[in-house]
Amino acid sequence: MTGEHSALALRGLAKRFDGTIAVAGVDLDVPTGSFYALLGPNGAGKTTTLSMAVGLLRPDAGSAWVLGHDVWRDPVTAKRLLGVMPDGVRLFDRLTGAELLAYHGLLRGMDPAVVDQRAAELLDVLALGDAGRTLVVDYSAGMKKKIGLACALLHGPRLLVLDEPFEAVDPVSAALIRDILTRYAAGGGTVVFSSHVMEVVERLCSHVAILAGGVIKRVGTIAEVRGERSLEQVFVEVVGGRTATGEELSWLSR
Amino acid sequence: MALPVSVTAAPAEPVRAVSARHFVRLKLRVMGNNFRGQGWRIALFIGGALVGFWFAASGFFLLAAPGLTDEGRYAVLVAAAGGGLLLLGWLLLPLVFFGVDETLDPARFALLPLPRRALATGLFAAALVGVPALATLIATSGLVLTAWALGGWSAGLVAAVGVVAGLLLCVAASRAVTSAFASMLRSRRVRDLAAVLLAVAAALLGPLQIFGLAALRETDWARLTGAATVLGWTPFGAPWTVGIDVAQGRVWAAPLKLLITVAALGALLAWWSRSMESAMVGAVSAGPAPARRGGASGAVAQLFPRLAGWTRRDRFGALVAREARYWWRDARRRANLITIAVVGVFVPVMVNFGGARFAVEGEQGFAASDSSPVLVAVSMLFVGVLASVTLANQFGFDGSAYAANVVAGVPGRVELRARMTAFSMYVLPLLAVVAVVLSVVLGRPGWIGLTAGSLVATYGAGLAVNSFVSVLGAYSLPETSNPFAMNSGAGVAKGLLTLLSMLTTAVAAVPMVVAAGLLGDAWLWLALPVGLAYGVGAALLGAYLAGDVLDRRQPELLATVTPRR
Repeated sequence: MTGEHSALALRGLAKRFDGTIAVAGVDLDVPTGSFYALLGPNGAGKTTTLSMAVGLLRPDAGSAWVLGHDVWRDPVTAKRLLGVMPDGVRLFDRLTGAELLAYHGLLRGMDPAVVDQRAAELLDVLALGDAGRTLVVDYSAGMKKKIGLACALLHGPRLLVLDEPFEAVDPVSAALIRDILTRYAAGGGTVVFSSHVMEVVERLCSHVAILAGGVIKRVGTIAEVRGERSLEQVFVEVVGGRTATGEELSWLSR
Repeated sequence: MALPVSVTAAPAEPVRAVSARHFVRLKLRVMGNNFRGQGWRIALFIGGALVGFWFAASGFFLLAAPGLTDEGRYAVLVAAAGGGLLLLGWLLLPLVFFGVDETLDPARFALLPLPRRALATGLFAAALVGVPALATLIATSGLVLTAWALGGWSAGLVAAVGVVAGLLLCVAASRAVTSAFASMLRSRRVRDLAAVLLAVAAALLGPLQIFGLAALRETDWARLTGAATVLGWTPFGAPWTVGIDVAQGRVWAAPLKLLITVAALGALLAWWSRSMESAMVGAVSAGPAPARRGGASGAVAQLFPRLAGWTRRDRFGALVAREARYWWRDARRRANLITIAVVGVFVPVMVNFGGARFAVEGEQGFAASDSSPVLVAVSMLFVGVLASVTLANQFGFDGSAYAANVVAGVPGRVELRARMTAFSMYVLPLLAVVAVVLSVVLGRPGWIGLTAGSLVATYGAGLAVNSFVSVLGAYSLPETSNPFAMNSGAGVAKGLLTLLSMLTTAVAAVPMVVAAGLLGDAWLWLALPVGLAYGVGAALLGAYLAGDVLDRRQPELLATVTPRR
């Protein structure tokens, strides 16, 4: 079965915070080469799940494998294959974009010459070259996402895990990010990302899992999950959202 | 089709006024929730409260002393000076040491339709809730006792009014100044600069105080009492001295002084509520900085500052370079460096001269011969402890950005060694200056070995101790626009942790002092090599052992330094 490992495999991942269950046993298999979306409403446990999958948050139970390497038992190998862009996490933002990339590259044990070359290319492609000596702390939200993505891509990971890559990003930057991710996946890489932007997911992804209340509700290829309906309809139904009947909130229309 | 939402036709629903009580209850609730499920936080809070009350009790007896001993002559002096210092403390300490209690941040109320007046009184009332305010009230009630003892119940009553007004003045002054700063410092650059200036001012406070104490020895008391009387007519002394004025028969002064206090209070509150508005709007980004082109140099070359140019271009080097940049670019860290620089130079000089001077009651002036190797070693121990304790929360400075290192799987030992190295690149030259300056100023160049040796040994031991503290006792610093902010309420508690780390470091360095006392002249030559070996050895051992701990609890450390939102 060599080479047949899932890019990311989660088994029974669970986490509770101060008595509230954030994630209640998530199993997931992300096939190599897939473009995988983790969908879910706010507070569904997406960030918690992904944090546990990449070694940022220790799970109460369960385990995670990256291309067959246990993230919590053999973190060094697993983390080498992994590129991560966490959400709501600051970068070392008192560095300029170029400095930040150099830091990440060297931290990953890359050759300085390679770091230089890739950093220049990434800054160019992501249209961050103009920022010059601006510190990342002074970047706009979209620029921060882009430099975060560049940091995750720099060492050429086999698996890319992105938490909300399209949150608070303007359409131009979003298109650029989409482009780069598509190219990465076409080149044999695997992408896992969380989102609640349905049209991006429908356009990009091969697979999707819907997470709600800390449990996986639906999982499969996009066609399997969607069936005859739109992804949004399935999502709202699965998550159990309610649609306004017109009875309540009557004082809104006065 | 537009929704039939018409704004004008909406009948005014009854709006109940928001009173100060809501804010007080909100603050208590926030404080309470902070403790939920965190036993150690409660323990730390209780410890901090005990320390607060210990200070309050000693303040009480100091201020009550003239009454208890029936020494009316010193009553005005004690009241004006003591109360004035308290007010000064309320003004400056939050800016520099403890941070402003941001439990209720005005910015959080920006969207609520609250009249400014209601918001200001509410936040003011909430600010009155807390250990510092209570401790101040307890301490100053000593003045009531003094006034009562000297002038009966009417004087005591007036003193009580004065004390309450004084407390209000303290809190208002502290809030007004911090809020004004927060809004003045809206751009990041200005903020960074101001933090540094404040750090310098704060660091100079200590030396100035020692100068003041030395001056006190020589001034006659009559002149001081005169100064205190004048001080009593300023807002710094007015609220505290009213009771004593009544007790000593100057009844006419009481209403005037209370008027001064109330006027000052009103002015401060007006100032505060005005600056609060701009504070509520929040910080603005400085925008894209002048896009100086990085030249043709590559990314890696840009990362490494000249200071760290000697390191290899690998993982360790990158960590050192990033830390070195951060010690300069992060205002919080830079402020720490400056404090070390100023205090590190002044305090040893003061202690060694001051000790000599106090010992001979200022008869001989600067008498170098009075300092002893033990005294020098002790003062060096202090500087070493102070320098190394800066790293006690080194991961807290990073905040959630530390996730990058966790994802990259940086080995704990490399991480800690690199952090020590980067910090030492700034601190070791500074310590060398301290050692040289002290021995030159003392007129004993031969003691350089002693000073430098004790310093390096303590510093190295401190690095080791603080490696453990930073891994095991880290806490999150808030990511707010206010560089002086600490997380709600627990400031005192965190101070205790720092104190613990300082004590441990001091104990670890005691052998250097003992050796200075026992070995005599031989130690003057042995101190440097022994101290170097001891310090470097301790630091490396600390990084080795603490690195192991760090490897096992990287995710937990990340969780503790990530600010809760």
